[in-house]
Amino acid sequence: MVTKLPRIPFLCVITDESISAVSLAEEALRGGAAMIQLRHKTASGMELFAWAQEIRKLCRKYGALFFVNDRLDIAMACGADGVHLGQEDIPARAARKIAGGKLLIGISATSVDEALKAQEEGADYIGLGHIFPTMSKEKHHPPLGVEALAAAASLLSVPIVAIGGITLENAPVLVAAGATGIAVISAVSRAPSPHEAARDLAKAINPDS
Amino acid sequence: MPVFDNERAPLPHILIISGGKESPGEESHVSGLLECLPEHIPCMVQIREKHLMAGSLYNLASSAAKKPRPEGRLLLVNERADIAYAAGLDGVHLPEHACSPSILKAAGFPMICGCSVHSIESARLAEDSGADYLLFGPVFDTPSKRIFGKPQGLEKLETLCRSTTLPVFAVGGITPSNGLFCKENGAWGCAGISLFLDRTSLAETLERLNSIW
Repeated sequence: MVTKLPRIPFLCVITDESISAVSLAEEALRGGAAMIQLRHKTASGMELFAWAQEIRKLCRKYGALFFVNDRLDIAMACGADGVHLGQEDIPARAARKIAGGKLLIGISATSVDEALKAQEEGADYIGLGHIFPTMSKEKHHPPLGVEALAAAASLLSVPIVAIGGITLENAPVLVAAGATGIAVISAVSRAPSPHEAARDLAKAINPDS
Repeated sequence: MPVFDNERAPLPHILIISGGKESPGEESHVSGLLECLPEHIPCMVQIREKHLMAGSLYNLASSAAKKPRPEGRLLLVNERADIAYAAGLDGVHLPEHACSPSILKAAGFPMICGCSVHSIESARLAEDSGADYLLFGPVFDTPSKRIFGKPQGLEKLETLCRSTTLPVFAVGGITPSNGLFCKENGAWGCAGISLFLDRTSLAETLERLNSIW
């Protein structure tokens, strides 16, 4: 069953290969994350499926959405809510053809043009970034900045999840500029307490959470 | 897509595994291979390009799927059932630690699922979880697998083939000369990478293997 994306500002926590995906997901959910994305490029399919099943159960328990990065096969096999695709993953149209209406599809975009194209191809949300400088992944272009986020938000009808270099201090600015969600990796995974980091970020963008 | 049935439509006896040298934007080795395969010899072609991102692998699989597929030719991709299905291939080949066939089939990927196995225990697990064929090796010495220790040998191949009802493909150091020993020890067929790399001898290699099985 496909749940809709939250309409109120929400926190998405993406797993980090340096620590256990399942325990990170649980801490993030306890802290108030409304979406978990399992992203692991080196795990075997068997491991990934096992973690995906665990995290999906946790997400159900906490009423959060569960996405799998790249692996549409694993997303379908574990009954995830969606799949998140990068620009170098399976094309969105192909993914939609096999997932039908069973999965939400999120697509990463690194520019307003890519975001528009992703919307046209049927994305349910756009992961736009990186907005601020970030150390998480090697980047091939400068940060987009808040202005590009605002421009994308005025042009797109699907929700935008901002990513890249997000902190407690700059998170509210992103929501004000039109992001529906914020996505973080290291801001939660590398924090002394991932649970508290998630809680503080969730509160920063949505004081009621 | 019907779920595969080896009694109704037996698998080919030859499994060609791609060389892992595809690079996006350059002329495709897989496409070149498909174009020069003799039409009258049934074979499976497994696209195994583990270094490619999913998007490039999908493009490669899609262009392979658009080539003429003579009767008895099957196309598979390594690991990614989603890509196999989206591109319109016949199946997926699963490494030993991949998601299991039964889970993939139940998830909406009703395709041929082959499994790499390196022991009788893992052959049993693969059969119980709905595998359609097994790939076992390395049977003979092969440079690329030396880091994993000694080859498994014909005796282990024979024991493994007796332990399963599934078709078993022998892999690792197979040649047209030793292929017969694999058949005599119960192998349904044989597989290889380097065995099929030389385009000048490909047709002869296939003819000789085809005459064994």
